[in-house]
Amino acid sequence: MSDRNSAPLLIEMRNISKAFGPVQALRNINLTLAPGEILGLVGDNSAGKSTLMKVMTGAYQRDSGEVLVDGRETHFKSPHESREGGIEMIYQDFALCGNMDIAQNIFLGRWPRKGLFVDRKRMYAEADEVLKRLKVDVNSVFQKVESLSGGRQQSVAIARAISFNPRVVVLDEPTANLSVMATERLLETMAELKRHGVAQIIISHRLTDIFEVGDRIMVMKRGQNVGDRYIAHTDEAEVLELIVSGTPETALTADQALAARAA
Amino acid sequence: MTAISTAPPLRRRLPLELIGGWEVGLLAFMVLLYVAGVFINPKFFGQADAFSAILRDAARFGVMAAGMTFVIVNKDLDLSVGSTFGLVATVFSLAFSQSYYDLGVWPSLIAAILAGLAVGLINGFFVTVLRVPSFITTLTMLFIGRGLVLGLTGGKTVSYSEKAASQAAWFVQIGETNALGFNNQILIFILVTIVGMVVLAKTRWGYETYATGGNELAATYAGIPTRRVRMRGYVLSALAATLAGLMSVAQDKGITSQYGQGAELIVIAAVIVGGASILGGRGRLLGGALGAILVTLIDKVLREGIPMTRTVKVGNIDMQVQGMAQLPPGAVPAFLGLILLLSVLIEPWIIRRNVFPRLFARMTGRPLPPIIEVGGVAIEGAQTKGSSASDRSMRARGPIGRFLSRRDAAAILLAIALWCVGLYLRPDFWGSIDNSFNLMLSFTEVGLLSIGMTYVIANGDIDLSVGSVLALSAATCAFLMKQLGFDPATAVFIALVAGAAAGLVNALLTVGFGLPAFVATLGMFYMARGIGAWLTAGRQLSSFPEVFNLLGRKLIDALTYFGIAPAKGTLVYDVAAALSVQTIFMVVVAIIAGVVLGKTPFGQMIYATGGNRRAAEYAGISTGRVRAISLVFSALCAACAGVIYVAFLRSFNPSAGQLRELDAIAAVIIGGGSIFGGYGTVLGALAGAAVIALIRALLSLQLILGNGQSFVMPQHWVNVFIGLILMVAVVGDVWIRQGDLIGSIRRRLAARRAIHPHAAS
Repeated sequence: MSDRNSAPLLIEMRNISKAFGPVQALRNINLTLAPGEILGLVGDNSAGKSTLMKVMTGAYQRDSGEVLVDGRETHFKSPHESREGGIEMIYQDFALCGNMDIAQNIFLGRWPRKGLFVDRKRMYAEADEVLKRLKVDVNSVFQKVESLSGGRQQSVAIARAISFNPRVVVLDEPTANLSVMATERLLETMAELKRHGVAQIIISHRLTDIFEVGDRIMVMKRGQNVGDRYIAHTDEAEVLELIVSGTPETALTADQALAARAA
Repeated sequence: MTAISTAPPLRRRLPLELIGGWEVGLLAFMVLLYVAGVFINPKFFGQADAFSAILRDAARFGVMAAGMTFVIVNKDLDLSVGSTFGLVATVFSLAFSQSYYDLGVWPSLIAAILAGLAVGLINGFFVTVLRVPSFITTLTMLFIGRGLVLGLTGGKTVSYSEKAASQAAWFVQIGETNALGFNNQILIFILVTIVGMVVLAKTRWGYETYATGGNELAATYAGIPTRRVRMRGYVLSALAATLAGLMSVAQDKGITSQYGQGAELIVIAAVIVGGASILGGRGRLLGGALGAILVTLIDKVLREGIPMTRTVKVGNIDMQVQGMAQLPPGAVPAFLGLILLLSVLIEPWIIRRNVFPRLFARMTGRPLPPIIEVGGVAIEGAQTKGSSASDRSMRARGPIGRFLSRRDAAAILLAIALWCVGLYLRPDFWGSIDNSFNLMLSFTEVGLLSIGMTYVIANGDIDLSVGSVLALSAATCAFLMKQLGFDPATAVFIALVAGAAAGLVNALLTVGFGLPAFVATLGMFYMARGIGAWLTAGRQLSSFPEVFNLLGRKLIDALTYFGIAPAKGTLVYDVAAALSVQTIFMVVVAIIAGVVLGKTPFGQMIYATGGNRRAAEYAGISTGRVRAISLVFSALCAACAGVIYVAFLRSFNPSAGQLRELDAIAAVIIGGGSIFGGYGTVLGALAGAAVIALIRALLSLQLILGNGQSFVMPQHWVNVFIGLILMVAVVGDVWIRQGDLIGSIRRRLAARRAIHPHAAS
């Protein structure tokens, strides 16, 4: 367990603060993510989970604090810049174009071209490959996205994200609109991604999902960190306790909690 | 006293909700404008009864504005009020007039009110139940109503002042001056305004209206019957237009076929100037009423003209000539359209941004009040789409099945079928070179407009201004060559630049200022035609250089002009004689536009923008640029059509391109485009344009009846028919293509059969 501290962190957010007018959305919050790790981000509504992720991807600009990727400080101005840094965000409503087919959606905005024209042959072949890599089964890459179920649309959104070869994928409430079957399939997909070495952050209300695939869980409350635990060494009751009555003063990092438990 | 003591004391008075700062500002502005009017034109505005006359004319618009306020606060739009006004007046006049049905005043009134009610119910039904966008429904109703007025009156004036005076004296009183010294219409205006104000601000009806306009989904969740509320808005608007129409008839004791034309522009501008938001949920009725007076005042100032003295040299003597600097007829809408656009911008850019309070705070050194959240998305409204559509192309088998699963298949088949119908009706004439040539010509104009429209509609926008931009470019071209003596090439270039500039303004308003495309292009719809009419001053310009006219001639004429005509009797000669230059131009544009839309990344960007603008934005597509380019391209296509129009007719007519926006939108929708964006192909649009051209040709075909007589349908009725086709196409798109109505009926039947096996057998 000691190598956890020595491993280089993929992402480190230090003392992030962000205010919207009079509302302090984030206060001096820290977040770390190791390569290949799945981190669950939980907390009540308005705890600041989505805001923190948007600060990380550059959709919002932080008021203070620093964001380090591979130990280097970054200043992403927009999600497009963080995408180049290997960070990919999947939105709750998937952000897909229903009128276009799966392959066109996977390559949305960066359709491969041959001369002036879209290289359709290459686009469909590569889309097929991405879907195979993800082990998602869709009938064909020619299917229009609006005719897919919610779970399949989710798969397309994930396929689109991993086609950028990201190192971090952020999923915002990925299981909120999914059936039980689709949730199972999504969790399998996430495990598959982890095998490929992709780190993931899941924002979710459903602790069961996080406990099934996650490595670590971080609890937020009113824009502050109130606790951090390794999934292997905690249970849902403890996390619920943190969500309800945790305070920033009693917050422990995952390693501190582990040490306390061992003691 | 006891009542007061039992009630808990209120810390502050309840908000009045009837009047606000905006109305006070309007009043002040109106006083200033009137004073300015007195200075500029004392002859008109200085008179004592001028004030009364303005109020009298404003009364009708004010009554309509009361109804329109309900519609606009509902987040809908009613473009058909002018037509309803005209239609009601026509129905009453035809029923009452001795030369037509010669009914009594009561039956005539009932017929008129029923006609108005029918318009309101139809509008409401299409918008709420059939889910057709409000601007498309009411724009079509505008043209249908106009066609009905023209068709019913046959373009003639109807008058019955003697019968009205003798048999319906009380009714005529509505339009007369009363004992108190002002016109009774003003009394009606005040009454309607007070009742409407109280209903909108103080009753549940009003609160339901604000909730529906503010957030329809939330209102539905809260149990408000939003469909009924929106339906009510349309019925109120139509009834208000009915009342206004009857007031007008009572005053004039007759009608002309131009009755009510353009009234919708004044009414909508009035409501928006009065502080209502085109995005729904905001607006007071008093504001609309004051807006009606203000816009009528502006209209009067523009129409009355400015007296001025010109110096004319006769021989060696300078003579002072008194004259009026007046706007030519048809130019006034240019200003009204501009006012509409400017007032639409007020709400999102001045009120929501708290510009005046912030300015005041900055001057007094107090902390600035915050800007009310005004994101681009908030303005344009979330795009909601059903994701239930099944993907029929996945089920298709074989080449025929695959063809039938294309969205544009129906249009192609329909075009072929319509051509066969023509051949069946007039086998002697339909297939001839002459008829084919004429068909190709009308096809070319609609086709050119619909190519540009395909881009705009696939993007999720709409361009209502193509017909007017056509007129603008045609007017520019004719004016430059005829009045200023430009050479054809320069004139054509400047005409295209003028068209592109109109498109650029559309793009600036929709993309830059975040207005919905239908509002921005509606403003341009009036402005472009008004500017065109202004340039040509309503004259018909003709006789241009022959080299220019070649743009609208047959290919063989062009070849002959340049002296390279092939010998007569050869195949090349025949082909060149059947093709016209404009058709070739259109085909070239269509091929380029079709390839760009279907095969290049730019085309994919258009579909992505139309499918889900936010997703496209996330994917790094500059959706603003894509939409702007499409709007400019559409205007450029319309400008080309305008130049060709002048070249073909060898003259410019101020009514150029009227109703063409309807044809172009219908063509795109029939050809597989979706009014909600994301679909549409150039091939489909051309097939749709062919359908429209064929229907127009079929309807104006001279039919030889069994008894040897012949029959031709008048053009007004053809326009009514085209309007109906557009409605059918949109409803078909919403319900059959998007909603998969046939599939769900089939499933329902299958389910019923499963439950009652014996019932099916």
